[in-house]
Amino acid sequence: MLTRSTLLSIALFQAALLAVGFLVSGNNYYMLLLTQVALFAAFVAAWNIIGGLTGQLDLASSAYMALGGIVTSLLWMRLGLPPVVGVWAGGAVAAGLAVLIGIPTFRFGVREVWYALMTASLVVILNNLFRYFMGPWDFYLPNKWGWLYLRPRTYFELFIIVDVVLLAVILVNIYISGSKIGYYLRNIKEDELVSEAIGVDTRLYKLIALAIYSFITGAAGFLQVVIYSSFSYRLFDAGLAISIAIMGIIGGLGSISGAIAAAMVFRALGEYLRSTLGGVIPGLDLLLYGVALIVVGILKPEGLAGLFNQLRRWWRK
Amino acid sequence: MSVGGLLVAVLQQVIDGVFLGLFYAIVASGLALIFGVMDIINFAHGDLVMISAYFVWLISTYLNIDPLLSMLLVLPVLFVLGLAIQKGLINPVLGKEPLIQIAVTVGLGFVLQNIALGYFKAEPRGYPNPVFSEGLSIGPFVIYESKLLSAAVSVLVLFLLDQFLSRTKLGLAMRAVTDDRSSAMLMGINVERVYLLTFAVGMVLVGVASGLWMEMGQVWPYLGTSFSLVSWVAVALAGLGSIRGLAVSAVIIGIAESMGSLISPSVKMAVVYLIFFFILWFKPRGFFAKR
Repeated sequence: MLTRSTLLSIALFQAALLAVGFLVSGNNYYMLLLTQVALFAAFVAAWNIIGGLTGQLDLASSAYMALGGIVTSLLWMRLGLPPVVGVWAGGAVAAGLAVLIGIPTFRFGVREVWYALMTASLVVILNNLFRYFMGPWDFYLPNKWGWLYLRPRTYFELFIIVDVVLLAVILVNIYISGSKIGYYLRNIKEDELVSEAIGVDTRLYKLIALAIYSFITGAAGFLQVVIYSSFSYRLFDAGLAISIAIMGIIGGLGSISGAIAAAMVFRALGEYLRSTLGGVIPGLDLLLYGVALIVVGILKPEGLAGLFNQLRRWWRK
Repeated sequence: MSVGGLLVAVLQQVIDGVFLGLFYAIVASGLALIFGVMDIINFAHGDLVMISAYFVWLISTYLNIDPLLSMLLVLPVLFVLGLAIQKGLINPVLGKEPLIQIAVTVGLGFVLQNIALGYFKAEPRGYPNPVFSEGLSIGPFVIYESKLLSAAVSVLVLFLLDQFLSRTKLGLAMRAVTDDRSSAMLMGINVERVYLLTFAVGMVLVGVASGLWMEMGQVWPYLGTSFSLVSWVAVALAGLGSIRGLAVSAVIIGIAESMGSLISPSVKMAVVYLIFFFILWFKPRGFFAKR
């Protein structure tokens, strides 16, 4: 629930993020980088609903992102539907596909490693199908700018849009986490068989979590297309989906603050390493993800959230 | 294309698919052994094959010998590497939540990929002067010597693995642990030691796979990702407990991928993964499971 201390943390986080935004607003590169980092954090926060709260290792984030973004773009390019409206359709298509696959998947009890592999292969399937039917080309967005197209003229305005989305995803997380559904989801994460035995409709609640996560990811996907100004089959990126899940795990499953902190720190650090040392040692940023995962998995399974809690306790002493 | 021409093209794909499938069988056998005995979810399996393929490539180019010979030199290295990975990374997460195991092995995979990318760079590497590169023409079909040789080695190794698991004391212990861990422990099997040796034997199979691959193709840093996925598909199709079942499943997948590339090379993996979806929905224990 929205207690005063959560409200205060969110306000502080927003103030800090906007302050950084204002500070770098003169520099297009930093502005774009900040926007990219905030959008990545929003995807990780959306993943937290299925991965962190419900404990299902979903590796299809980029599939829903790309599908939603591409549907929104095509509705705009082919039918003239402005993306302000189109993103809702994009989210709905992504959520529709997720539920369509989710129904048999949860019905037949696909879980753990098999769920992870299934969702990972969904990204590859969509990637291949898109390439087969639409070809290997890059499709460019029309030459139109404006709020109606969620494609403002300056990077600062785009950053504001992304920031609003990030804030909305955080609030959705907090709302779900405090609601009845949230308790069911955590129960499923703790032990699915037990929660089934005490009468929780695990299939239904997993589907609800999947639908919310894929809808948000699909709707926000268009912003990724806006950042690139184009899309192609490469938007269905299995590596990106894994990175998003990794941030959720490093953040400490289920902790929204940990997930966002991990997303922002690692993405920013990754970009910094890539721009400074990328030419000398390619892949150093991803190497760092790998090491962080191993360290978190073996030494600190509760992730950054555990670290936060320790700091908080130390602070109060 | 005429009907006869189409038939020849399809049969050629089936032949290539069988060769590919026998290679996948070796890749998947290491994963299945480790997953079956230790119940550890290893997402880095394909990346281990990739790193091992670079070892093979290094030795082959340095000594100018055939990849299958370099493979024999790589196997002991992998055995030791297997012991080290088991001690350092796998043992601490044994019995933990699947998510933690996946996190650690995905981390290992990322580390291996990016070490390879940093050290060997992105371009594919292959052995420049292979001995068995000729294509044999049999009627309208073409069979490459390298593929034939790899398939023979693959069948031999699978046969030896089957014998090892059914005849030797260690192999029987591994199967006992697969079937029932606590009973095996009560019967006086040193489970810790079985785990350690299972991972090491699994890594030797990884080494064999990498040798077979280098005999036929090239290695690049992201080669392993698809191997990991395909071996999990093979394990899903076969279920645990039968080497023969695993080999048959891997060949089916090889043929499916090969037929898919007949439609278009860009959809071949989609065909394999769609099969995967249907197996998980309708036959989650696989077709050849012993338990």
